[in-house]
Amino acid sequence: MRINIIKAYMLKEFKELVRTRLIVMVYLLPSMILILFGYGIRMDVSHARLIIIDNDQSKLSQTLSSKFEHTKYFDTVERHMSETQALREIKQAKKDAILIIPSSFEKNLLKGEKSELGIFIDAAFPTRGTTIETYIQGTILSMAKEVLAKKGVAQKGMITINSRSLFNQAMRDEDAIVPGLIGLVLLIAPAILAALLIVKEKEKGTIFNFYASPLSKNEFLAAKLLPAFLLHSLNIFILFLLSVYLFEVPFRGSFFLYWLASELYILVSLSLGMFISVITKRQIVAVVLTVIITLIPGFLYSGIIMPISSMDGASQIEAHLFPIMYYNHIIYDTFLIGEGFASQKNLLYLGILLLFTLVLFSVGKLLLKKEMK
Amino acid sequence: MKSFFTVFSKEIISFMRSIPLVAVILYSFTADIYIAGAGMQIKPRNVVIGYVDNSGGGLSQKILSHFHQPEFVTPKPYLSQKALSRAIFNKEVLVGLIFNSDFEKKYKKHEDTQLDVLIDATAASQSLTTLAYLHNIILDFEKVDIPLKLQSHKLFNQNADNHSFMALTELLSMITLLSVILTAIVFVKEKEDGTWDLMLLMPVNPKIIILAKSASQVFIVTAGVVLALGFVILTTFNTPLNGSFWSFMLLTLLYGFSSAGIGLFVAAISKDVMQVAQLSIVIMMPLIFLSGAWTPIYAMSPVFQKLSLISPLRYYIEGSESIFYRGTAFVDLLPYFGGVTLLGVLLYWYGFRKIGRLF
Repeated sequence: MRINIIKAYMLKEFKELVRTRLIVMVYLLPSMILILFGYGIRMDVSHARLIIIDNDQSKLSQTLSSKFEHTKYFDTVERHMSETQALREIKQAKKDAILIIPSSFEKNLLKGEKSELGIFIDAAFPTRGTTIETYIQGTILSMAKEVLAKKGVAQKGMITINSRSLFNQAMRDEDAIVPGLIGLVLLIAPAILAALLIVKEKEKGTIFNFYASPLSKNEFLAAKLLPAFLLHSLNIFILFLLSVYLFEVPFRGSFFLYWLASELYILVSLSLGMFISVITKRQIVAVVLTVIITLIPGFLYSGIIMPISSMDGASQIEAHLFPIMYYNHIIYDTFLIGEGFASQKNLLYLGILLLFTLVLFSVGKLLLKKEMK
Repeated sequence: MKSFFTVFSKEIISFMRSIPLVAVILYSFTADIYIAGAGMQIKPRNVVIGYVDNSGGGLSQKILSHFHQPEFVTPKPYLSQKALSRAIFNKEVLVGLIFNSDFEKKYKKHEDTQLDVLIDATAASQSLTTLAYLHNIILDFEKVDIPLKLQSHKLFNQNADNHSFMALTELLSMITLLSVILTAIVFVKEKEDGTWDLMLLMPVNPKIIILAKSASQVFIVTAGVVLALGFVILTTFNTPLNGSFWSFMLLTLLYGFSSAGIGLFVAAISKDVMQVAQLSIVIMMPLIFLSGAWTPIYAMSPVFQKLSLISPLRYYIEGSESIFYRGTAFVDLLPYFGGVTLLGVLLYWYGFRKIGRLF
């Protein structure tokens, strides 16, 4: 390894990144993905637009309506309209749900006779539809339970469920999603950059400079990967600041662990990109291949949509083959849990990330040829 | 008119001859949509529950026996609360139940009984569903007879089938992505291959060239949409088509031109295919994410709600969902047609001007 030669080559790489404006992508892409996904994905349902058609107009029916008015889950309006008119509003996608309270609701309920409440939900977006349904049913049932308990109809001594949400007390979507996104972003962006570095020279023909020069394989790779590594290291801090200040995700763990794991993870991602760059010939193929390998598994196994523990056999094994699962475990720990180095699992996963880097890097280096085929 | 069709068919032929491209398009409109529809499963499945049982058995086991496949894995016992917390911290368990030693005694004496539940809230949707389940199980248990019948109807998609919905969303994103990229590539390829000057020398009005080239790509995408509908969406996933097929095709065609407009703009400012890919990502991602495909518009922050008004995809997605699921009457679809057409004309006109300067 000759430091001066590497330095000169690195300078050339830096200049090239700036001149081809690829550097814009280095900083634009990660922040953009984080911001768009962070704002764009909402798993919970809030401000569902609900129409209540109250045919009873009793005290009890009004109590029920008011239960729906003072929550962040519903934007409620009370209207006098026919069922068909209300359905038309749903068809126009102006409302999400209708609740119809029948005319003798209060009387029947207190007498203990059955009364029927009609609920109509727009399930064109199925998961949301189901969630809205659960919320509406829950609200009604808990109110009815309360009313009956007061009147002494229901039995005493019920089981109350005392639930404590760990790590994310407010159940904020941002807290659950944004840390996972960092894992996704730091997988895709460095990989794409690294994938372009070598294949670009192949496509333009400048790879022959490398073939003909006395530069060794190690020096070449160091000169190629170091600039990408340094540039992306800055992203670790940018993404951290965005999460903590823009999305207001709490940070409870050790920053050192976050930084260390992220640097390692960038190395994994760069080695992956380099590997792809070595085996492909065209830039566009390299980019598409990188996106296929990183984006979809990254999203599936990030733990954002589904926790790894509840996947079934095959996908659980598959999840273990991709680095994102290990990194995200550490990231969620540093942001929300705060176990840090005390947790053996974190240390183990840190080691696995290191292993990923070594394996991917050595295979890539092995396949890199210093002469024409 | 004749020259329009000559250029148009030339593009179609050169598309058909490039076998990899045809393969990619076929893949995108069939297998890719199938994978997206079949693979995405957001409903809770195999949720792992752990419990600590100090109450000695009977009642607690009865409650636990209600958690079963496919939603839940058989609950795992832990010896102490500490061991249970550790398992939750290590993400081996999502929900932990703790039965205190006086749990059963108190219940039998009709005193108020408490069941402690620990939830890993980083997997919020799975945990919340588990909690709702638990409430229902306990309600069942106490046999409280509430004289209410909740007559619940999930309109348009009775079984809340997520697969057909995901497949449709993927199709709509594919249409967006491909009509931008294909249109841009048709022009940039000429730049890259050096045939741009040949094109300039053709005795054809440049306006007709641009029109024919972009129309040919919109045509290819539309053909792909028909394929996707026929082979995947309407058949494999049984997506309901409650509205009119032709209004969807018309909306798709109009939308195709508005994305083609974006494609023309991208083609005008990029030099090679690589730049097309980069620019398309930067332009398309905000468009897709702010379109209401993942989060309904009204639940977004106000700034994004305003921004989404200028995204043609917003009108297209809402319109298509209304056609497929809600079966909305044509009169009520007019706002969507209006939005797509207006933005389409603007975008296409802008892209047309931008690339026209290069001729």
